[in-house]
Amino acid sequence: MSSSTINNKDDIDNKGSVIIHGFFEDEFFVRLKKQQIEKVFVLEARPTLKSLKHACRHLLKLGIRPVIISDNMAGFLFFKHMVKEVWLSYQDRDGEEAVCLVGGLILSVLAKRHHVPVFLSYASSKSGQFADEKEIFNFNGIRVAPRGIRGYVPLLEAVPLRYVTNVV
Amino acid sequence: MSVDRLDQIKESPLFWPVRLSRNAVIILDETSLPAKTVYIKAKDVKEAVKAIRQMKTRAFGQFLVVLNTFLLELDKAGSKYKQSEQLLSLLEDIAEKIENSRPTFPFKEVTSMCLGWGMQAIKQDEDFVEFVSMRILGYMEAIRQRRLDRVRRIADVIEDGDKVLTHCNVSGELAMAAWLCSQQGKLVHYFATETRPYMQGAKLTCWELKKMGADVTLVADNAIGSLMADGLVNKVIVGSDRSCANGDFANKIGTYQIAVLAKEFSIPFYALIQPSNRIPSGNDIPVEIRPADELLRFGGRKIVRGNVDAFYPAFDVVPRKYLTGGSIEIEVG
Repeated sequence: MSSSTINNKDDIDNKGSVIIHGFFEDEFFVRLKKQQIEKVFVLEARPTLKSLKHACRHLLKLGIRPVIISDNMAGFLFFKHMVKEVWLSYQDRDGEEAVCLVGGLILSVLAKRHHVPVFLSYASSKSGQFADEKEIFNFNGIRVAPRGIRGYVPLLEAVPLRYVTNVV
Repeated sequence: MSVDRLDQIKESPLFWPVRLSRNAVIILDETSLPAKTVYIKAKDVKEAVKAIRQMKTRAFGQFLVVLNTFLLELDKAGSKYKQSEQLLSLLEDIAEKIENSRPTFPFKEVTSMCLGWGMQAIKQDEDFVEFVSMRILGYMEAIRQRRLDRVRRIADVIEDGDKVLTHCNVSGELAMAAWLCSQQGKLVHYFATETRPYMQGAKLTCWELKKMGADVTLVADNAIGSLMADGLVNKVIVGSDRSCANGDFANKIGTYQIAVLAKEFSIPFYALIQPSNRIPSGNDIPVEIRPADELLRFGGRKIVRGNVDAFYPAFDVVPRKYLTGGSIEIEVG
């Protein structure tokens, strides 16, 4: 299959799309199905891809075909005005910030820059704060990193609530 | 150790990954790194274009493939075609094949230069093959020296104690600057994003930084927010694949969000730029969209089960306002 091209002048007609990132409860996906959404973009969520697989299972069961992007592609979607809202799961929060899956902060800052709302949804499943560095040295069972270097693998990060539109 | 001359700078294998041998363009296969160091032999323009399309080499390596392919085909054709017009026609055919290989990279800027030399050879009634070949060789040597000079300027930007974040691979220059910094006694730490889907950061950047003796940590693409918010990086240095007249540029996907976050967290963001006036602004850069399967499969297996789709824009456009550190430029014309 060959590549194609878009001229950067053209905004892609996907303005009704959402980005989701995290471990969401069953009800979240049911509510998502009821909305009129063109596409649901789901981040890969390195290193483990667990939240991606969780989301894909639920979306496919509801007849929604998820569109996977790697964790570095969200910026492109915002730049092309393809995103109408962002949904993040959180596992804890206080008055100032929420603890979300790593990558949530990138989405929140991009959303603020591009005037896109960010919604938080509570996740009952909890993740540890860091993964072993070995997790980043491999992908899909294949070693990708040279030997003898270090890895830094945060799994969670704090998203200041000033970036958040609403907690649902 | 004091490094006074550019030729004293230790060279990374990725700095000059393509060379010409008698019958082939020899290309370092970046997709095999870091597991194996393998070289591909491209015996003609068709094989060279295939290597480019398959991303066996990218960024500056593509530039070298183009120039060396012209040299290769000229050398073969010299004995076959006697008329300069025939040779020019051959170059035009080669140029067209190369320009259609990948949309975002500015191949036309390179091919039109070579065709221009061909037309000049005809106008001046010169030996076509010798005239064009000497100019290509001279041009490559000039670029080599300018890149070495830029390595020195990158090292000037990096200070003792810096924690530098980089993305994708800068074709040797950052790794060589890292070596130069170590010779200058600077203690610097480098963070490299793995750069999905092709993992250039993990496979190439970490590999060459380690080879050059630098202290490097690999992170997932999604960790840049944490790195910046927690003060673990204080500088960003990235490359660029294409530049615009107004200072916008295109680089590997993921660069835009790094630039936005760097601005949000007031972290200087530098890009290595090859200035060009051919494209007015970032709005005019064509962005390659690669097949979904390149994202959905890795190592021959799917990354997730089910009838899922994927979207793979290969490049980001970064408006010049995000160059909060500045650009480190090189003249290529």
